[in-house]
Amino acid sequence: MLADTWYLFNKYVKISMRMPLWSLFSLIQPLLWLFIFGSLFKYFATLPGFPATSYINYFVPGVLIMTVLFGSSWAGVSLLREISAGTIDKMLVSPASRTAIVLSRVLHSAVQVVVQAMIVLVAAWIMGATTSYNPLYILLAMLVILLLGIAFASLSNGLAIILQREEPLVIMGNLMTLPLMFFSTAMVPEKFMPEWIHTIAIVNPIEYAVSAVRAALSPTPILSEFVTGFAVTLAFALGTLYWSITAFKATRD
Amino acid sequence: MISIKGLSKVYTSGTQAVNKLALDIKQGEILALLGPNGAGKSSTIKILTTLSGFDDGEVTVAGFNVDVDPDKVRQSIGYVAQETGVDYFLTGRENLILQGHLYRMTSKDIHKRIDELSDYFSLSGHLDNLVSTYSGGMRRKLDIATALIHRPKILFLDEPTLGLDTQSRQSLWTYIRKLNEELGLTFLLTTHYLDEADKLAHRVAIIDKGEIKTIGKPDELKDQISGDVVSLHINQPKDKNSLTTSLHNNSFVKDSKWEDDKLHLYVSNGAAAIVKLIEDCHSENAEVNNVSFSRPTLDDVFIQYTGSSIESISDAGEEKWWEKWAGKGGGSWAKKWKEDDAAQSNESDSEKQWTEDEAAEWHKNKEWSDEDSAKWEDNKQWNQQESAAWHNKDKADIDKLSDETAQQSADSNQQWSEDENARWQQGQQKSEKEWPQENTNWPKDDSTSEQSQQYWDKK
Repeated sequence: MLADTWYLFNKYVKISMRMPLWSLFSLIQPLLWLFIFGSLFKYFATLPGFPATSYINYFVPGVLIMTVLFGSSWAGVSLLREISAGTIDKMLVSPASRTAIVLSRVLHSAVQVVVQAMIVLVAAWIMGATTSYNPLYILLAMLVILLLGIAFASLSNGLAIILQREEPLVIMGNLMTLPLMFFSTAMVPEKFMPEWIHTIAIVNPIEYAVSAVRAALSPTPILSEFVTGFAVTLAFALGTLYWSITAFKATRD
Repeated sequence: MISIKGLSKVYTSGTQAVNKLALDIKQGEILALLGPNGAGKSSTIKILTTLSGFDDGEVTVAGFNVDVDPDKVRQSIGYVAQETGVDYFLTGRENLILQGHLYRMTSKDIHKRIDELSDYFSLSGHLDNLVSTYSGGMRRKLDIATALIHRPKILFLDEPTLGLDTQSRQSLWTYIRKLNEELGLTFLLTTHYLDEADKLAHRVAIIDKGEIKTIGKPDELKDQISGDVVSLHINQPKDKNSLTTSLHNNSFVKDSKWEDDKLHLYVSNGAAAIVKLIEDCHSENAEVNNVSFSRPTLDDVFIQYTGSSIESISDAGEEKWWEKWAGKGGGSWAKKWKEDDAAQSNESDSEKQWTEDEAAEWHKNKEWSDEDSAKWEDNKQWNQQESAAWHNKDKADIDKLSDETAQQSADSNQQWSEDENARWQQGQQKSEKEWPQENTNWPKDDSTSEQSQQYWDKK
């Protein structure tokens, strides 16, 4: 299974490397948000009780998570393309592990998202963000981003299998990402949130990923907060991955 | 090699894809499943290749039960789907390597195998180009090569020549025959092309609505229909039964079959019968728009068993990819969309109906007259040579004739690929030398080339 995953993962990486521009396309949106929100909410930081020195410093973890959502929530579209192109059938008639087929796709999306997140982080530094430069903490943050990428790529692949069509999949993708984004502390600190949104945020897995990344990247890393966020994201990733693999196996038999 | 007993499959939408199907395929055989779209061909192949499940029956492929040992079945078969299963953004070589790895082959073995296959399919020069730069015919060849990488015993081909031009089709047929004759590879292919089944397959199984209607060698099937086929296109037949009855009064009419407004008559001597048949139609007040006269084809066999022509059914519309994919799953959403699509296609059917009415109108203006009947003898469509051969009833002559035509079409293929053609002309000699000896894992039979010669002589 691991060998199959590796070979298939390599295939997807090779294909992305051949179309670097296409892979970078989904970077445009997070970079745009970084610029727009960074400018628009600049004076938030002057409000009493704002938890960071500047808004962009506060927003960087949020925009990194946004990158994950925009990058991996449409992973299922390419699964549908592969199904109609017949390449998935080609894998399925071979003794290749069925788990590996899903796993390789999901891992590829997640790794791609990490690369994109690194680019966004550098762009944020150029725009004046002063988050932690410590490689260890950046690595921890990227680990959370990898897990969240796995989770959303799994969700998208699983939905693709169940819905079988591109149009509703894209609608579901939008429906998943945008509200979850705003029901978290990605852009607005907890303090400034209405009570009911805060209640929703408690059960929002994205909220935990945001807080874990923020804990890792803050000038004074908060380990306990990171561990909680990491654990929830890990559980979320494993759960969705398991679900999508089950969905993939079930439709075929 | 393949044994199917009482196989049934019902999709969640309620469509009975396969219905108590039974089939046995011998080692070294090319068997064609001939049927219109939606006849259950692809469903059957998907079950045999472990791609989809089934509801009832017992299926053994290469000695393994597909339910119990799917992985062993997968190891022994190759599958070439309707869609090209090769990745467009990888090179030919990368596609082959990936496929080899998925079959758990060692890197050394994969590279050895790639050399053999690329030689065999004349792909060597293109192996390191992206598949997206390949022509349709080359992609098919690569597709087959990837399916052969692990040295399977059986190769499944689902509509292998769908969407290919004539030359690529012929070249592909050549490869299928070569693989079958030289390596003893067993083939199960589906097609809705009559000529493909006729020329390529050792045995043809005619399949419709998930059932096998008849099975046999193409010539045997055609021989079941004795004599010639005269098809009369009647303008708005009023009383089909009385017309058939009165035509059956002629002793030379052996059998008849209605296909919409077309009456197919199976007669012992077509040329002599035509005039009498038309006269009879006149006296029955049936207006004959159009007459055609032919030797029985597989389509006539098909009409005999299903009551409609395979070509008319095949126009009905392609199966949607998600329907094929949906299989047993797909859920209620897939079902809903399927119903929506069905509603839409009904609308387009009524449009089609309208144009058919128009066509009928147009045909009406072209009345059949005695004058026309006289002209009919030197009709352009009628090949003089063929006619002479036909009247002699000399089967050998006809065979020779078709050999000549085959030769002609083979000649026209020269342009396609000189390289290829040269290889093919050298024929078995070369490949005998290069291919099976190097590769002892393949079943080798010294007498194959002689056998194949006999096989083609017979054809």
